Amino acid sequence: MKKMYVMLVALLLAAMLIPACGPTAPDCSKVETFCVGVVTDVGKIDDKSFNQSAWEGVKLAEKDLGAIVQYIETTDAKDYDKNIATFADENYDVVVTVGFALGEATVAAAGKYPNTKFIGVDQFQGAVTPGLAGLNFPEDQAGFLVGALAAQMTTTDKIGGVFATDAVPPVWRFGEGYRAGAQYVNPDIEIFVVYHSDVGFDKTFTDPEWGAATSKSMIEKGADIIFGGGGKTGNGAVIGAVEAGALAIGVDTDQYFTLPEAQKGLLSSAMKLITPGVFDLIKLAKDGAFPDGNYFGKAGFAPYHDLDATVPAEVKAKMDEISAMLLDGSLLTNVAPVKP
Amino acid sequence: MDWRRFSFIGLIIVILFGVVVLIGGEQVSPLIIISSMLATTITVATPLTLGALSGIFCERAGVVNIGIEGMMLAAAFFGWLASIYMNTIFEFNAAISLTVGVVMAIVSGGIFALLHAWLSIAFKVDQIIGGTVINILAVGITGFLNRQLFFEKGSIFGGNVPHAPGLLPSLSKSLTFLCGGEQGCFGLPDLISGSVFDQKPVAISAIVLVAVSHYVLFNTRWGLRTRAVGEHPKAADTVGINVNRMRYINVVIGGMFAGLAGAYFTLESVPSFEPLMTNGRGFISLAAMIFGNWTPFGAWAAALVFGASQALQINLQFFRESIPPNWAFLQQSYVVGLAPYILTMLILTGIIGKTTPPAADGQPYEK
Amino acid sequence: MQSAEEKQAPQGWKRIGRAIMDAALVPVLAIFSAIIVGGVVIAVVGGNPFAAYLGLIQGAYGSTKAWSETFVWATPYIFAGLAVALAFKGGLFNIGAEGQLAFGAVATAWVGYALPGMLGVELPAILHIPLAIGAGMLAGFLWAAIPGALRAYAGGSEVINTIMMNYIALNITSFLLNGPMKDNNPLNVIARTPEIAEGARIPVIFDGLRVHWGFPLALIVAFLVWYLLWKTTFGFEIRTVGANPDAAKYAGINYKRVIVLTMALSGLLAGLAGAVEVTGLNYRHELGFSIGYGYDAIAIALLGRTHPLGVVLASILFAGMRNGATRMQFLTQIPVDIISVIQALILLFVAADAIVRYIYRIKAKEDRLVLTRGWGG
Repeated sequence: MKKMYVMLVALLLAAMLIPACGPTAPDCSKVETFCVGVVTDVGKIDDKSFNQSAWEGVKLAEKDLGAIVQYIETTDAKDYDKNIATFADENYDVVVTVGFALGEATVAAAGKYPNTKFIGVDQFQGAVTPGLAGLNFPEDQAGFLVGALAAQMTTTDKIGGVFATDAVPPVWRFGEGYRAGAQYVNPDIEIFVVYHSDVGFDKTFTDPEWGAATSKSMIEKGADIIFGGGGKTGNGAVIGAVEAGALAIGVDTDQYFTLPEAQKGLLSSAMKLITPGVFDLIKLAKDGAFPDGNYFGKAGFAPYHDLDATVPAEVKAKMDEISAMLLDGSLLTNVAPVKP
Repeated sequence: MDWRRFSFIGLIIVILFGVVVLIGGEQVSPLIIISSMLATTITVATPLTLGALSGIFCERAGVVNIGIEGMMLAAAFFGWLASIYMNTIFEFNAAISLTVGVVMAIVSGGIFALLHAWLSIAFKVDQIIGGTVINILAVGITGFLNRQLFFEKGSIFGGNVPHAPGLLPSLSKSLTFLCGGEQGCFGLPDLISGSVFDQKPVAISAIVLVAVSHYVLFNTRWGLRTRAVGEHPKAADTVGINVNRMRYINVVIGGMFAGLAGAYFTLESVPSFEPLMTNGRGFISLAAMIFGNWTPFGAWAAALVFGASQALQINLQFFRESIPPNWAFLQQSYVVGLAPYILTMLILTGIIGKTTPPAADGQPYEK
Repeated sequence: MQSAEEKQAPQGWKRIGRAIMDAALVPVLAIFSAIIVGGVVIAVVGGNPFAAYLGLIQGAYGSTKAWSETFVWATPYIFAGLAVALAFKGGLFNIGAEGQLAFGAVATAWVGYALPGMLGVELPAILHIPLAIGAGMLAGFLWAAIPGALRAYAGGSEVINTIMMNYIALNITSFLLNGPMKDNNPLNVIARTPEIAEGARIPVIFDGLRVHWGFPLALIVAFLVWYLLWKTTFGFEIRTVGANPDAAKYAGINYKRVIVLTMALSGLLAGLAGAVEVTGLNYRHELGFSIGYGYDAIAIALLGRTHPLGVVLASILFAGMRNGATRMQFLTQIPVDIISVIQALILLFVAADAIVRYIYRIKAKEDRLVLTRGWGG
């Protein structure tokens, strides 16, 4: 019994004497080091959605700009301030905060740490804060484009959209843009749009099984093209649609590459280009040309990939036309920025 | 058989379907609505049915198992992991990878159940606490490994999301060669062959296992002994049944059912794993088990009720615009979303039919 | 060795010290074992466990700011841990702390932002803070009284009922925060309430640090729970019902009433956790992804051996792990999920103390929690 205790104490002491190989933070206070940190919202860094896209933009900066990069995941909303401060206190040059939920914490941090530049993804800035750029996207235009595409490609005049939630504006803009785009091409088209708002907020983005079941159910009712949007729930809808033999449209990035299972039936994806947007802003920060206030990233639709041959030339031409009209402002989606 | 219980369950399902047919019947043909809802119901009920069977085997032998949720989650992860390993690292084809994945899911469910059995039988840990340990452990391990193996730099998949080998194929697709065409199998209308009978292996085995479990529990020596151990372990012991051994084996069998339910999530429903993806279905399985009065067919019927209520939820959203104004509360999907949980609570209070758990449920056996 | 100790019964402080030693031995060894096993897990997947633990300790207890943040995390943990521990003492298993906490937070937030407008006056802090916190306590009390009553009068297991009520609470709060209670500031896009009035906010203790007076409040409440359980008749009734419901019946205790009240008080404490988070820290309630207060609270209650002092200590440990995880991830990029693994292992070793006793060759003392009863029906 005594021996046991002696051994325990010895082990404890040994454990405490090993800090020789303890961790050290990179020194970001020097001018020549360029450090970029990411703070996620309560989603995870590998969410295959905006947190991950933002992180990939930062990793591009590691590769192309030689930046030292690091991320911190938030487990509880109360830690936003603390996690941002963890980077800022270590003199990071750029801190990327992902998601609207971090908006206020980011504004506060920008005021407190004038030497650090802040990039707020999906954070619309009501007023300009020096050192803070909000990265936003016209999701309604991307949704409009794929809606127009679906309306031209459907053979049953029934199309579907499966979305994670209507309470998060970017997702809502995708969904309503989709509806508007389809009706622009064909006012009589039948559109099933379903938002998975019926579960706790913690599940709406992470319920692929529901997404798959819903998109199959739409196909049984005659829809032949399904647009799936919103994290893993949307991914489930896309995969479910392709499995059931229908065409699918992905979201956020070109999902031809993120959802290989769906390649054979993936018509296109409604894209908001977070990764290049984040990278561009980091580069601007490095070059000393950081824009304060709102910065608009690009939105659009992805190539047809495997299905390119099945898309008629006139549809392609029409898509280019709509795309150009949306860009120069001669065509408006008429989607409100937030669900009324 | 308990006909009142079954007719009550049938009535609930008819009402749930009827609501949708009433609201959406003008837009879409009722036949399509019913067949599509039936298909959703059966599919969604799969993990609940298997989870309830898992609970039945454990509790009929006298061990309470609230760790089904964790067992499902762990099995979903390890089954998926195994299929990816087989496919990506060892380069087996999809069919073999998926089969190995399902086996691995069943085995990992069994291993977690073994831990539960060990805690509750050998150490006589309170079984609710033991189950909670399983649940927390499963969340932690799957979340950690999922990240560490797939995302971090230097992880074996190089930080890339690996290709999953796909999904288990649906039965009707593998039978098309019999009828020589893609559609209209067995002369049935497309819409039926395309949905209700369009089920996948785990869903079908769940239904088969309901019948098998019923037979095993009520028509074999093994079933008799299992029930004896759960009802009156002392008496069972005196006639020479090894109580603890019976409990170990039954809990592990139960865990394997939960493991198969886990396979449903990542190998049959969607080809990816999400932390916490079982989403409380293990707990609803327990409710189905109780609602079904610890019988396989009863539990299956109860699982179908929960499946039907989810089918209702999905389908009501399609016809949101056609909901009459005085039924406006149905537009609030939150309201409909509450139904299964409230139903469960009503069942537990015995307001809907009396249930009787095995007499020695939850009690460690001491000689 | 054992017999020699028994012969000379120690006296006074020495006796108390020995009692604490005895009570703390298994939890401490459980923590120790979990840390070792957790380290092995980190090493197996290619991390450096020493760097990870060092980062964890730095982040949790390495500076004044770290301590402040740890106390910030510990505050709701103490309340929620006490909630579960109190229920355990009464022989009840409350898995519903998560839902009770959410309801408490919603009620507190409502009183915090809406009441001044409704009454048309600015309430002074001395009135507004107690009203807001009181609303949260009441909400938790009533929400938990339901499974308590179902258990006492209808025999429905509180285990399943509290789990179901978690989902119901999540749905209802989602609905409220997306609809009637949503912050309608035009720039807001997420499900959250408006900010509560200045007068409803619990002040911080030190300028520049986030630790607020809710932490001392938690310590006081822990003392009150101890006092209730061991110094009052009602506390005696709770413990009797928990230890032996049949004996309680014969002793003339109205055990149904005790069950309902125990559950309700447990919910009150969980509601308090939500109320203090809103008034002391976040100044609003916001829907987050499930972070599992409910399960953490169970682990804390068991690690603290369902004693208020133990709950406080266990809370500070768990809070330190959650808080330090940020720095650990910053320094080593080891995922924060490892904390859940370590916590589960701690719980495993505490729950199955026979394992710990076996590994470290400690003689057993029969002191098992027995909660499992039927599912009712």
